[in-house]
Amino acid sequence: MSTSLVVDNLSKTFGSTLAIDQASFSVPENSFVSIVGPSGCGKSTLLRIAAGLVRASSGRIELRGQEVTGPIRDVGMVFQSPVLLPWRTTLGNILFVAEMGGLRAADYEGRARELMALAGLSGFEDSRPFELSGGMQQRAAICRAMLLKPSLILMDEPFGALDVITRERMGFALQTLWEESRNTVLFVTHSITEAVLLSDIVVVMSPRPGRIHDIVEIDLPRSRTTAALRDPRFVAFAARVREGIEAGETEY
Amino acid sequence: MAETSLLARLRPLLFLASLLLAWEVGAPLLGIPGYVLPLPSAIAARFAETASLQLHGLFMTGMTTLIGLVLALVFGVLLALVVVYVPVLRSIVMPLLAAFNSIPKIAVAPLFVIWFGLGVESKIILAFLLALFPIFVNSLTGLGEIEADVIDLSTLAGGTRWRIFTKVRLMNAVPYITDALKVAFPLALVGSIVGEFIGGNSGIGHLILFGQFNMDTPLVFAALVSITVFTTLGIGAVSLFERTALTWRPSQRRR
Repeated sequence: MSTSLVVDNLSKTFGSTLAIDQASFSVPENSFVSIVGPSGCGKSTLLRIAAGLVRASSGRIELRGQEVTGPIRDVGMVFQSPVLLPWRTTLGNILFVAEMGGLRAADYEGRARELMALAGLSGFEDSRPFELSGGMQQRAAICRAMLLKPSLILMDEPFGALDVITRERMGFALQTLWEESRNTVLFVTHSITEAVLLSDIVVVMSPRPGRIHDIVEIDLPRSRTTAALRDPRFVAFAARVREGIEAGETEY
Repeated sequence: MAETSLLARLRPLLFLASLLLAWEVGAPLLGIPGYVLPLPSAIAARFAETASLQLHGLFMTGMTTLIGLVLALVFGVLLALVVVYVPVLRSIVMPLLAAFNSIPKIAVAPLFVIWFGLGVESKIILAFLLALFPIFVNSLTGLGEIEADVIDLSTLAGGTRWRIFTKVRLMNAVPYITDALKVAFPLALVGSIVGEFIGGNSGIGHLILFGQFNMDTPLVFAALVSITVFTTLGIGAVSLFERTALTWRPSQRRR
């Protein structure tokens, strides 16, 4: 498996505060990698640096062998809020990234409709964002990120604003969408269960300064169902991730 | 349902009709002379007699108002665009514009007549200047108030400055601009009419002055009716656009 994203000895300081301290990890092509950690561990900053939106203070980031020095032009992004344009329909919002990329939206309409069907959004093509529930809006945002099959999809706590029940359903919906596309995903979350359920690799971070404490390979078979949550191996992986987070917190 | 909504639509008209009736019956009872407050029937009669004068006046005033408004729209949005994209200009342009806006433009109207003559130019410029500020300020808000996440998302999808401008910033600004038009339209009209008061020999403003010189109060009122109809139609057009094209706005949503 070739490597998509390499984060090498990366540090970031804001003024005199060290936000990320010498982080190194890599994301294999077509894999799902999560960064998990408590608030303030620099995981969102790390994501923004990976996208080229923020400059690192030292260290380097490479995407498909190319050093990232500015905003990457084919990255799908999902934020904590859906960030849908209120004047566009749901379909129009998903096709928005094609238009931004200078592509003909009509050429991507078929794929957009397929993704919407997988995400359970069929029938809402012409609805405006305000007519959708929070979970539906976020699923539309995920479809939008996947539309152009970008070289990397970044997700910054995409389910952070949803209620617990919706959140769990969204995890499985995301798994369905991801298994169809197999895009390379870097996913930031503070939910251990979510990270273990969705990922091939979990990067465990601790705060102040943000440091990587453990990198856990999750070799559970896919598709993972609710039954997988009770699998002893799943429980063991979750416990190991938790230990990494707790170790990081007691150390300082 | 249809009946009640029809009633709701007719209610303001019914109110206006009863007001006019009270005026028609009440003014003679109170002994108010016609040259002070002409009766609605007298105004209507004068309106009918002077229909072609009214129409010509309305054409002249409407033309200078609309040209001034369109110029204000173009320059207001362009100016806002420049300020949004060149932040250093914001600190230069904003205080100057605020200072300029605090000058009562009506007080400098005579100056425009000296500079631009008694023709339509001085009226257009006055209409333009009065309409410019609200359009600029609202455009600035509409073009600038975009979540940083939207810009990041667009950039990462390959969006160029131009595409982000046309498909995000401008679209976001449309409702702000239509709101501004509803304020700027009557202001542009004030500009045109003040211009006509100060000099020239055409337009509704000229008609009003003509009525005043001849103590022809019904003519003054008839001219006011013309101008009110014009403004109402103009603002109605903007509202209609909002109801049909901006259905996504919280204020226009029908659930």
